[in-house]
Amino acid sequence: MADTRILRTTRPRSRASLRRSDVAIRLGIVGLTLATGYIHSTLGGPLFTLNAIGYAVAAVAMVIPLGIAIRFRWLVRLGLMGYAATAIVAWYLIGPRYDIAYVAKAIEVGLIGLLAVDFVRHDGNPIALLRRRFRS
Amino acid sequence: MTGPTGARRTVAIVAFVLATVGLAACSPTLGSSSASAVVASPGSPTITARGLRFDRTELVVPAGRAFTLVFDNQDGAPHNVAIYDDQSAQASRFVGEIFGGPASRGYAIPALDAGTYFFRCDVHHDMDGSVVAQSG
Repeated sequence: MADTRILRTTRPRSRASLRRSDVAIRLGIVGLTLATGYIHSTLGGPLFTLNAIGYAVAAVAMVIPLGIAIRFRWLVRLGLMGYAATAIVAWYLIGPRYDIAYVAKAIEVGLIGLLAVDFVRHDGNPIALLRRRFRS
Repeated sequence: MTGPTGARRTVAIVAFVLATVGLAACSPTLGSSSASAVVASPGSPTITARGLRFDRTELVVPAGRAFTLVFDNQDGAPHNVAIYDDQSAQASRFVGEIFGGPASRGYAIPALDAGTYFFRCDVHHDMDGSVVAQSG
């Protein structure tokens, strides 16, 4: 019993040990990622299409049960946060102001929020984690 | 860390956010506002967007009086026509409503002094051209 508890606290949370709230947050992340990706895919042109593909790839990377994806999920979370933040900044600088754009940006803000929650729950402090990773 | 009540609350919040976003993204009213009240006269200048291109790169319009520009968007992607003083697109003379096609709108353009202006689609900046306002 005690051994099991130790294992649970020292090993990264696997798919089997995800709590219901973890699954909900992960589903939320995937849903929001696909939603903003879908919106970008309807805008036409190579830039928006590439953006949509990027979101689709990130959504898959967030849930795919491959060892490498699980090990680097922290990087996927950080990368997706950066990707969404870049999309928001780019839109602020040169993007059109209209209803669908506002919806897409609201989704991206929500996405960053959920990713931050997911990150803290699974990986802890992002700065501490980056320090640890770069040291090792 | 998170009890069953907390987990249920998280699931509910995420479900609510997803449902709201999904409904907003699928709403038929988004990106296609109600029909314009502007009525185009038979001689109104017309411009068409098709295949992420405008059908002309120069629009000749009357100087010194307001006119109706008929914009026919044949793409599924959202477009508009916006008129600026120059290519920097800093000072706008008119910014048309962005809408998805196939649909058309009559834009009520205010009077332009004689001269050359720059027009573009605010969503796809590579769709552009010049507006020549001519007296007489």
